[in-house]
Amino acid sequence: MASLDDPGEVREGFLCPLCLKDLQSFYQLHSHYEEEHSGEDRDVKGQIKSAVRSHLSEFKKHRAARIDHYVVEVNKLIIRLEKLTAFDRTNTESAKIRAIEKSVVPWVNDQDVPFCPDCGNKFSIRNRRHHCRLCGSIMCKKCMELISLPLANKLTSASKESLSTHTSPSQSPNSVHGSRRGSISSMSSVSSVLDEKDDDRIRCCTHCKDTLLKREQQIDEKEHTPDIVKLYEKLRLCMEKVDQKAPEYIKMAASLNAGETTYSLEHASDLRVEVQKVYELIDALSKKILTLGLNQDPPPHPSNLRLQRMIRYSATLFVQEKLLGLMSLPTKEQFEELKKKRKEEMERKRAMERQAALESQRRLEERQSGLASRAANGDVASLRRGPAHLRKAEGWLPLSGGQGQSEDSDPLLQQIHNITSFIKQAKAAGRKDEVRTLQENLRQLQDEYDQQQTEKAIELSRRQAEEEDLQREQLQMLRERELEREREQFRVASLHTRTRSLDFREIGPFQLEPSREPRTHLAYALDLGSSSIQSSIAPKTPTPSSAQEPIRVWSGPSALGQELLTQSSMSQQNEGPSLNPFDEEDLSSPVEEGTASPPAAGASFGPSAHIPKEYNPFEEEDEEEAMAGNPFIHRDSPAPNPFNEEDEHLQQRHSSPLVPGNPFEEPTCTNPFEMDSDSGPEAEEPIEEELLLQQIDNIKAYIFDAKQCGRLDEVEVLTENLRELKHTLAKQKGGTD
Amino acid sequence: MNVVFAVKQYISKMIEDSGPGMKVLLMDKETTGIVSMVYTQSEILQKEVYLFERIDSQNREIMKHLKAICFLRPTKENVDYMIQELRRPKYSIYFIYFSNVISKSDVKSLAEADEQEVVAEVQEFYGDYIAVNPHLFSLNILGCCQGRNWDPAQLSRTTQGLTALLLSLKKCPMIRYQLSSEAAKRLAECVKQVITKEYELFEFRRTEVPPLLLILDRCDDAITPLLNQWTYQAMVHELLGINNNRIDLSRVPGISKDLREVVLSAENDEFYANNMYLNFAEIGSNIKNLMEDFQKKKPKEQQKLESIADMKNVKRLLQNPKVTEFDAARLVMLYALHYERHSSNSLPGLMMDLRNKGVSEKYRKLVSAVVEYGGKRVRGSDLFSPKDAVAITKQFLKGLKGVENVYTQHQPFLHETLDHLIKGKLKENLYPYLGPSSLRDRPQDIIVFVIGGATYEEALTVYNLNRTTPGVRIVLGGTTVHNTKSFLEEVLASGLHSRSKESSQVTSRGTQKLFVPT
Repeated sequence: MASLDDPGEVREGFLCPLCLKDLQSFYQLHSHYEEEHSGEDRDVKGQIKSAVRSHLSEFKKHRAARIDHYVVEVNKLIIRLEKLTAFDRTNTESAKIRAIEKSVVPWVNDQDVPFCPDCGNKFSIRNRRHHCRLCGSIMCKKCMELISLPLANKLTSASKESLSTHTSPSQSPNSVHGSRRGSISSMSSVSSVLDEKDDDRIRCCTHCKDTLLKREQQIDEKEHTPDIVKLYEKLRLCMEKVDQKAPEYIKMAASLNAGETTYSLEHASDLRVEVQKVYELIDALSKKILTLGLNQDPPPHPSNLRLQRMIRYSATLFVQEKLLGLMSLPTKEQFEELKKKRKEEMERKRAMERQAALESQRRLEERQSGLASRAANGDVASLRRGPAHLRKAEGWLPLSGGQGQSEDSDPLLQQIHNITSFIKQAKAAGRKDEVRTLQENLRQLQDEYDQQQTEKAIELSRRQAEEEDLQREQLQMLRERELEREREQFRVASLHTRTRSLDFREIGPFQLEPSREPRTHLAYALDLGSSSIQSSIAPKTPTPSSAQEPIRVWSGPSALGQELLTQSSMSQQNEGPSLNPFDEEDLSSPVEEGTASPPAAGASFGPSAHIPKEYNPFEEEDEEEAMAGNPFIHRDSPAPNPFNEEDEHLQQRHSSPLVPGNPFEEPTCTNPFEMDSDSGPEAEEPIEEELLLQQIDNIKAYIFDAKQCGRLDEVEVLTENLRELKHTLAKQKGGTD
Repeated sequence: MNVVFAVKQYISKMIEDSGPGMKVLLMDKETTGIVSMVYTQSEILQKEVYLFERIDSQNREIMKHLKAICFLRPTKENVDYMIQELRRPKYSIYFIYFSNVISKSDVKSLAEADEQEVVAEVQEFYGDYIAVNPHLFSLNILGCCQGRNWDPAQLSRTTQGLTALLLSLKKCPMIRYQLSSEAAKRLAECVKQVITKEYELFEFRRTEVPPLLLILDRCDDAITPLLNQWTYQAMVHELLGINNNRIDLSRVPGISKDLREVVLSAENDEFYANNMYLNFAEIGSNIKNLMEDFQKKKPKEQQKLESIADMKNVKRLLQNPKVTEFDAARLVMLYALHYERHSSNSLPGLMMDLRNKGVSEKYRKLVSAVVEYGGKRVRGSDLFSPKDAVAITKQFLKGLKGVENVYTQHQPFLHETLDHLIKGKLKENLYPYLGPSSLRDRPQDIIVFVIGGATYEEALTVYNLNRTTPGVRIVLGGTTVHNTKSFLEEVLASGLHSRSKESSQVTSRGTQKLFVPT
């Protein structure tokens, strides 16, 4: 479920209001809602979906009118009751009491009431009239009620309390007293005189008694909270506590059982004890509720017992349900074991990653050494033929590389695969805990993998730019090296220039491969996966011309480069000394300083080892692919990438002012694919005749090759290049002459 | 359009409104059934409702520490009970909900009784029907009609139930009814009347296509309830009887005490939810035992009837001593319904056979009663298409062993009606609109109500239509949900059999004698 809290997310479409799924169309949304959510006991934003109608306001209106009347009645009775009990009844003679009673409320005339209004019996000598002392009405003895003095006191005292809080002038006893004074003179009832003395109780009719009893009940309720309520409140508090604590504990326990060390075992077990204590309390409380009043006489009403049973039952359900979800904690020893297991697993994971990284390194290395030996052997023939093949295959390499390696060298995929099999094993062995842990791991891995996949897409473009930068860097260095060599050893120079020109051609087309991007992604993805170190260091900004870039690329693998160096071929080691001038140059140019320093820190020949490593694997692949002779490459490769050319410009502009007379720049111009872009001032620089000639030779070979394969468009481009080269050569010759 | 959800929502809201604390749910006989269909005890216990009391129960204790939620039908008796209750309140506070429209004067009397100011809420929550399945509701009325006309009390109850349903689903529909049924027309008018009177209540946000209420009469399809229905739910109802999702197993010999009454609720029983609409045979292995039991129970039909292909063989079948009285009568009823007007009608002979077989008079009378109830004269449409007839009979005769027959089920007539309705092809001369306006577009939200009771097989039809027709949502309702037995009781209750003696059809010369056994 997507989170609504995310303010940044604005979605539109036919979204389900509950799960925010986009259902594309109204009907689909409708049916989705019906299917998925209609049964859910949950309203959208708390709104009830069905119609309702409230009568409460009307009800209250009618009630208010009634209540006013009722309250007045009750208060009147209580005020009279107070007067009736205000004197010492036990020590006052009956006649006097009667007189006082009559003064409180006028008695109804006996003659007016021939029948008892409540039971309908005729009054006679035997069935005598009685007067209610509270309202003055008449009833028979059977229908007469009595109010004991304690009850009267209870009612009046409670009223006094409430009066003290909200005083109301109309209820003041004095005013009422005054108004009733005249009633003393009313005729005394003959029948009443014959009554026994009422010194400890007050006669009244059922209606008045009823009203007063209701009042009493209200008073009782206000003051008294039954035991069951007290216990129940405690019980609910406990339940709330469990609802709050249990998820916390479950989270902890799950983490600990997975061997993680996010939470401490002690803390978790403390929490467990706490939760368990609450459970015990719930159990105890509900049990207490269940047995409430069982020993009383008379026993509680069946309804009460039922209520107690139900509370107990629901508490039991609660405990059962929640307690089952409360997983156990590992013991200390188990936890140690789990930790170890997890550590091992992590190590295994890491080892696998490392292995995968190593694997890819080794492969790179193999290819590199292969190339190095070839280069060292000075296998001119193969090299002459080589470039054509290499170049042809260029565009294919990432695809094949990606296909071939992604499966076994993406550590995440590998890990996922492994864990799946672990789960299988664990399941077979019946170790459920382990299965759970592994499944959790698997889930995390898969999440990570998904995340990585998305990151890759972002990373790819950056990587590409980096790669290109690196290649340019390599070019530059090769050029420099070559220059050194040429200065010192003219004779070997020709051999090296050949290799160098080979390199250029490899790199050239690669840079000019925009349309290959989707495929190269795979290769990059592989790269990212296999050497996470590298990717983690990888820059966030894909600015290709920035001088920092090489550093990033270098710094990562430098250590690996070192390792590899020990195995690298002699020819490369021989080149070691030739790098010295290069270092000097770095010092002179602050921009390039960064480029050189990391390898310098590692080993002075680091770069040389690294350069081939970076692109050699491609080469090897290329050769394989070249055998297949896919025509694709040739169609694409000549297409110039304007973006890359821009980069090239920048790079060159950058470096050229620093080393204005540097002959390194020349080979760039000789690269047939960069001819156009190199029409700048560098192109005017004198180019070594030797180089040019060689270049011409190469291009001729290309043309031949292209013709053989019938790729006419390529032939055209190449011919154009050749002509230009020849032109340059002629010009140079003219210049030097 | 989910009736279970609608009612459940009402109940949940009541409980929610009352806040925390111990609660008692105060109900009447009918609302008890309504609530029990959507909430289980354990579910409602979690919401602190610990006691369930009937408003008419006399020995309720005063428990001032409880809050009372009252869910009552707005009947005269209930209002009186409530007034009594408020005069002497037994609980601390009252939340009162009526399941339907309550009169202003009743509200006034209640208010005047609340001298202790214990009432905190008075509302109308229109959960006034039994939500059986998400798309099936019932009013649990058996015997809604006297002859062809409504029992007035039941008409009023049905109107209330139907309007409550509309309110709970927030639908203000256009109404169509089955022209051939006077009862359908009456009900349509009554519903319309309520909608007009309570127009404020029925003011809902207008939908593009207004909802449609289609009122049918059971007499339009008397066949469906006579057939064995092969879905799980229908089968359980047929064999054991479901009442408010409860199955009474107390008659089953040797049943353990806690299984006396079993609750079948799709809300809580996953197996039931998954299988209730499944064909009995499809459930197969899941309920192997139940199947075996069933076969033990009904071996008579299965074993011998498989060879029967033609209706003419009914006679032979009737002579089979293994066919029970009930099933034999059922067979003849189907025959009678089908060949009612056929020239070579041999019904008199069959009736004779029934008598010879010793089938009680009660059942024999029912044959003509059923024909009277659902015969051609009554039917608004032709129930049997020629090919249908034999298929139906076969279907009925063949047992579970003939798997293909179990799968090729009888399609209730309702299917065709609804299919036509959805496609906008339901004839207006047979099912006219009430009032001048009619629906121009195809209907989307449809409520079908069957006077005289729906069946679980029809519920299945509706369920399937809902699933397969995008944009169309149908809810089926009936005065009750029938199995064959209850349907026959319904027919019996309508009192039609007595009049059938005078009727000229079916009971021609030969059978006339049968009804006057001397």
